[in-house]
Amino acid sequence: MPNFMKSPLFLTLAVATLASPLLAETTPPPPRAVIKPIQYVEYDLPNGMHVILHQNKAVPVVSTYVLYKVGSKNERPDRTGFAHFFEHLMFEGSENIPRGKIDKFISGAGGNLNASTSFDQTDYFFNLPANQLKLALWIESERLMHSKIDETGVETQRQVVKEEKRRGVDNQPYGTLFQELAGLVFKGTPYEWVPIGSAQYIDQATIEEFRAFWKKYYLPNNATLAVAGDFEIETTKQLIADYFGPIPKGPEIERPKIEWNLDVPGAKKDVLKDNTPLPASLHAWRAPAETDPDAYPLELLGNILSSGRSSRLYKRLVEKEQAALEVEAFPYLLEKAGVLGVYAMGQQGVALDQLDKLITEEVEKVRAEGVTEEEYRKALNQKEAEFAGSFGSMNARAKNLARYHLFYGDANLINTELDRYFAVKREDLQRVAKKYLTAERTNILRFPVPAKDAAPAPKAN
Amino acid sequence: MIRTLSLSLAVSVSLGALAAAAIDRTKKPDADPAPAASFPDYKTVTLPNGLKVFVIEDDRTPRITFRLLIKGGALHDGGKSSLSSFVAGLLNRGTQKRDAATFASESDYIGVRLEGMSGADAISVSAGGLTKYTDKILDLLVDATLHPIFPEEQFAKEQRKALSALEAEKQEPGKLGDKLQGKLVFGAHPYGAYRTPETVKAVTREDLVKYHQTWFAPNNATLAIVGDVKSADIVPLVEKAFAEWQKRDVPADPAPVTPKMEGLTVHLVDRPGSVQSNIQISFPGPARNNPDTAELNVVNATLGGGFSGRLFQNLREKNGWTYGAYSAFGMNRYGGEFSAGAETRNAVTAPAIKETLKEIGRLRDEPVPEEELTLQREYNVGNYLLSLESSARIAQRVQDIDLYGLPTDFYKTYASRMGSVTPAHAQELAKKYLTTENAVIVVVGEAKEIKPELEKIGKVQVYDQQLKPVAP
Repeated sequence: MPNFMKSPLFLTLAVATLASPLLAETTPPPPRAVIKPIQYVEYDLPNGMHVILHQNKAVPVVSTYVLYKVGSKNERPDRTGFAHFFEHLMFEGSENIPRGKIDKFISGAGGNLNASTSFDQTDYFFNLPANQLKLALWIESERLMHSKIDETGVETQRQVVKEEKRRGVDNQPYGTLFQELAGLVFKGTPYEWVPIGSAQYIDQATIEEFRAFWKKYYLPNNATLAVAGDFEIETTKQLIADYFGPIPKGPEIERPKIEWNLDVPGAKKDVLKDNTPLPASLHAWRAPAETDPDAYPLELLGNILSSGRSSRLYKRLVEKEQAALEVEAFPYLLEKAGVLGVYAMGQQGVALDQLDKLITEEVEKVRAEGVTEEEYRKALNQKEAEFAGSFGSMNARAKNLARYHLFYGDANLINTELDRYFAVKREDLQRVAKKYLTAERTNILRFPVPAKDAAPAPKAN
Repeated sequence: MIRTLSLSLAVSVSLGALAAAAIDRTKKPDADPAPAASFPDYKTVTLPNGLKVFVIEDDRTPRITFRLLIKGGALHDGGKSSLSSFVAGLLNRGTQKRDAATFASESDYIGVRLEGMSGADAISVSAGGLTKYTDKILDLLVDATLHPIFPEEQFAKEQRKALSALEAEKQEPGKLGDKLQGKLVFGAHPYGAYRTPETVKAVTREDLVKYHQTWFAPNNATLAIVGDVKSADIVPLVEKAFAEWQKRDVPADPAPVTPKMEGLTVHLVDRPGSVQSNIQISFPGPARNNPDTAELNVVNATLGGGFSGRLFQNLREKNGWTYGAYSAFGMNRYGGEFSAGAETRNAVTAPAIKETLKEIGRLRDEPVPEEELTLQREYNVGNYLLSLESSARIAQRVQDIDLYGLPTDFYKTYASRMGSVTPAHAQELAKKYLTTENAVIVVVGEAKEIKPELEKIGKVQVYDQQLKPVAP
């Protein structure tokens, strides 16, 4: 047990804890650290764009972050990879920004940039010295207002995106794991294909389709802008009104209907590849969406299963049985669906059946017996440490403020989400294990070792 | 069950009234006056036992991180290329006070990860967590670094895992390329050595104990502390915690490395089934304490430092051959390397190599146009300013000054030096540090598809996936 009494922070903590309604619980949770609140203002522009501003002058930098609610789940099944391909095209230019200049402007201003596309969202960020905020607002508003997509850009990025896919998926051992997992667990939903998509559809996409996609989704009423760093709030509000105000509001966006049925029998698949020299197995279960209250106990359960060398799966599979090189339990929860996976990469010469048996036994055990008081508190302590370290940079603050707003409807969760973990009771962990990690709903995805490589385990020394 | 504490932090404002003023959208807006990039102040204290302590106060989060740096690292592997990484990896697997399981459960319980890692010139041991656990974190750190016992049974497990990991690496294009590249650049020097099944098996527990006894001395180490602490409070705690650590003499470092490279040669690791070639063009580079590091950053950025670098612009944005193309100088205490690379589909492997060489040559042969160099200067200076957001990065830099023997004002003058490189100076540095004639081209890919074209570039040596040369 850690010794709180020794800590110089003990008194402060005790006061903070008393002030919290959490202490009224019959089983008092362990005290949580005082994390400095992140203050912000938020509002909507008349055109529907949501704006969040967080001022912090520790270092003269500013981060802008624009989050669009469009991802691969908005794609047609015969155009997978489209949202991500489109994200590449958003670096091409606009009516006022010549092709290829966006990065040159940002780099030349001393900044850096990037963007990403996932199942539910597409985001764009700039990190800049604080004197360059106007540049960031200009470029982001141009993307929304005057995007320009031409054949040269489309053809070049078509090749680039296919290289991105080869690099991350086709040329990497186990690189198809994620797409196989999505295909298995999210079958029947628009989550069953992954954001990188299929090369075949990347080739088929036409420039008219890209223009239509931009018109449909790149709307101020589908965007959240967060700015964090060293700037003046009032001036910035005016700048945002100047740059984004004239963009017309678009129509309501039709969202894909997703029926997420948890009660679906599990399936099994072996993926045969030439380049998987160690056996690997992934057990996966349908899990709730990220905003479901059960998300919190599931996240804590993930910690108990695999976070650190004292976790259950590490102790059993890596330490005791020496069957696995690494093991990880990961909840991957999305807007409308979720998955909890347990992944083990086996050591040389270990049979896949052995890996599967060990995973199954540990999952059965947590279902049957639940978790110990020490494990429960450890998981909370780990979350507390994780939250305390999560929002240091302005980029992380802008990003999380926008994300909490868009998907949870509450940007203030950046300050309070940890309380949701601390409100979880120990019994909840067994309850969610029983509810979601059932034997009959277990999906199993395996990467066997190709026959020619299957060598017996060597002896060390 | 779920409750949101109402902290009344969010102020909702209706902004319907704020009208848009006319702005000129047709041109890039002017910047406000530039902020200065100033390296923050930090405290340096040398304890009686010789341990140098740096404290960087940062109250943004209620955390504290310790990073202990033991000079040496792989430099002192002495022919057993896994030695220092086994030492680093086993520090938290059994001490005089705690067995491996106890160490794991005590650190996990408070959300602390304490891990040792070995690099070319040092072993680092990092441990960070909430400030309320400061005493405990410090106790774990002292225990791991001063009292590891390297239990035979834990070591055997790590060896077994290392052998499995090596099996996996035979299929990882990046790993294969990095290993071969290091060996070709640094030859027999420890900087170029990599793990093999033979070196893994050659290390004994006695080697670990001896390495620890020899190099883990307070006068051969620095400790950086970053977090929501006051120097005056934490230094006495640290002094007390490390009081038992005795100063002692450590042996001299091995002779500096001065690798030479003659001619342009191609080294092809045949990885059947590859749908991309992993390309690296490399040659020896300067040590970390060379006089040109700041300015050389700008030269490298022009070539391949970011999205606006020439390699990215040429190979990706113009030709669509790759997802990314970059270059970098890797600088160690006693010698370094340059590497430029990309991953390209098989059919364009040779053209990508030719264009990369062309871009390296162009920096030597032609001055960088003023407009382009201005962009790259700003890019470096601005991104240096952005990096000052990270206290961990600042701590690392402070320790680097000591580790690499840099001038104490290195980071105070860093931005101004990067910001004042002229085209003539950039070209002079390109001529001094870049070459297209004495380099190795390392490619991991599908030999049967790419070898014929590679032979037109230079003599090709083929390797198998264990990096053994294959007779032609």
